[in-house]
Amino acid sequence: MLSPYIPMLTTIKSIVSENEANDIKTYELVFKNKEDEEKFNYIPGQFGEVSLIGKGECPIGIASSPTEKGSIKFTIKKMGTVTSAIHNSEVGDTIGIRGPLGNGWPVEELKGKNVIVIGGGFAFSTLRSLIYYMLHEDNRADYKDITVIYGNRDCSEILYQEDLMEWEKREDIDVALTIDCAEEGWDGRVGFVAPIVEAVNPSPENAVAIVCGPPIMIKTTEAVLDKLNFQPEQILESLEMRMKCGIGKCGRCNIGEKFVCVDGPVFSQAELREMHGDR
Amino acid sequence: MVSNKMKERILEKDQIKQFHEDLARYYNFYAPTKVKGNFVFKKITNPDDIDLNYLNSKTPPKEILFPRMETLFTYKMDGKEIEIEPRTDLEEKNIIFGIRPCDAYSFNLLENFFNFGEFKDDIFLKKKENTIIMGLGCNSPRSTCFCTSLDYNGHPHRKDDVDIFLTDLGEKYLVNPISDKGKAIIDKLAWLSEANEKEVQKAVELSDEAESQISTELDLENTADILDPNFNHPLWGEVSENCIGCGTCTFLCPTCTCFDVVDEVDQYNDKGKRVRLWDTCQFCQYSLETSGHNPRNSKIERCRNRVLHKFSYYPKNYNMIGCVGCGRCIQLCPVNNDLREIIKKINLIKNKSKKEEVTVA
Repeated sequence: MLSPYIPMLTTIKSIVSENEANDIKTYELVFKNKEDEEKFNYIPGQFGEVSLIGKGECPIGIASSPTEKGSIKFTIKKMGTVTSAIHNSEVGDTIGIRGPLGNGWPVEELKGKNVIVIGGGFAFSTLRSLIYYMLHEDNRADYKDITVIYGNRDCSEILYQEDLMEWEKREDIDVALTIDCAEEGWDGRVGFVAPIVEAVNPSPENAVAIVCGPPIMIKTTEAVLDKLNFQPEQILESLEMRMKCGIGKCGRCNIGEKFVCVDGPVFSQAELREMHGDR
Repeated sequence: MVSNKMKERILEKDQIKQFHEDLARYYNFYAPTKVKGNFVFKKITNPDDIDLNYLNSKTPPKEILFPRMETLFTYKMDGKEIEIEPRTDLEEKNIIFGIRPCDAYSFNLLENFFNFGEFKDDIFLKKKENTIIMGLGCNSPRSTCFCTSLDYNGHPHRKDDVDIFLTDLGEKYLVNPISDKGKAIIDKLAWLSEANEKEVQKAVELSDEAESQISTELDLENTADILDPNFNHPLWGEVSENCIGCGTCTFLCPTCTCFDVVDEVDQYNDKGKRVRLWDTCQFCQYSLETSGHNPRNSKIERCRNRVLHKFSYYPKNYNMIGCVGCGRCIQLCPVNNDLREIIKKINLIKNKSKKEEVTVA
């Protein structure tokens, strides 16, 4: 039996700063052992326990798509002890990974559906993974219309700008970017995510809305989706909670009898309504 | 070949020394002993330290297989290279001697939990596999004991969860081999004399008498069903009012398994280890997120989580109640919060349907 507490070792291949504040960086990691890379079979929406050995571990959503072979990516905001230590690391340093963990976005069930991806701020990483995955030439035909609505406080906070520019050029995806207040040189939309969703007015017909962002954005967006006649089963969200083990043992990420780490992090709004618990 | 019907044996109290000597050669021999006035389970090297004149240990014997602090792995650093070394001591053989039936059953709960789902806790499971459990019947249960109210047919002389069961007959112990593992051990201890009819009968009487001494009777039949729709019931405010958040109830609970994970660095020697430490949902930092958000921000949520975990979430997830009825949380709570009283209060709540759910602002 292989211990689920032992991380696989990776080397940092590249570090990309994602915002002007320089507190969000994307780390591209390459597994030191080829077998580990083969074992790390993931789908978009899953997460990994990222560790800097000697500093600790924390759960981070996987930002790369499984279609991007050879490496995995994590977008990490400098927040606490471990993430701050990771922010001090350099290309060539060793990072431990346990995973893939959690259920992930239901990429199989989304097949044949219109997918509306709604993201706010830093919570866009696993959404990037999902969009990248669906747009891959092997997968694009499996999904119908893909709409992306992505909001940020200001332009400097927009993640994955290169990817977004690529996607905007494509015919087979609609991208609506928005920032909270108008800025010089910004020709995208202006306003909070919820009213932009209302303006984009996606049809609930054969559709699934995937919502990720800060709590207030989720709340207001849920209200808009309800108004647009999306049923709770058609709205998917990914939860975050304090975690240690990521494998349903350390106890702290429970909402009622569910553990966010193994039963989630992706839940439908219908499931969330049924869940009695603290979150 | 071990015969199925093995006769009970007799272990004289002055033979414990030899019993220990014969077994400690092959096993880590854990038994109750008195440390600073409290009974705890320790690895015994001197058999004179074994003290079976106890009601129950202060800390649960879960700490033998799930210690307060335990290494998950060690590592060595060489420049930027890191070498991780898994635990190598999990194959050691253990005996837990003189454990009470409720605590013996707790190992079933723990094993089920650590084995549940896609990811198995190899560390606990390996140790459990290599452990022989020798139970000791309770002739005088505590006033806080309520094992007989629990779903597992708890009883002060329950024998189902042990390999060998002992009954204190005064000057001697009746030794009852239960599992094949237990029978094999008794087979090897050929010097143990066979018990006579009278001694076996005495053990039955002691068992009945012990049962009659347990005065608490709790109805746990509908508790889970009542808890589910009453998540926001004002009861939780009442229950948590005098809680001081010390965590005693959970640290001393034989079924609590929550842990924290921390890296310990020996920076002068370029090595370290990742350890897990007991943690508890009763601590305010347990679920505190880096953002500052805390899903269980007040003791109302924290006290509720403890009770719901054992009496609602555990039955839902594993089809068993997460309590063995040992009464430690009642006996050792510094503000006398009594789980039995909480259960009784819950049972008094009129079972409301979800639509009528009481919400507290």
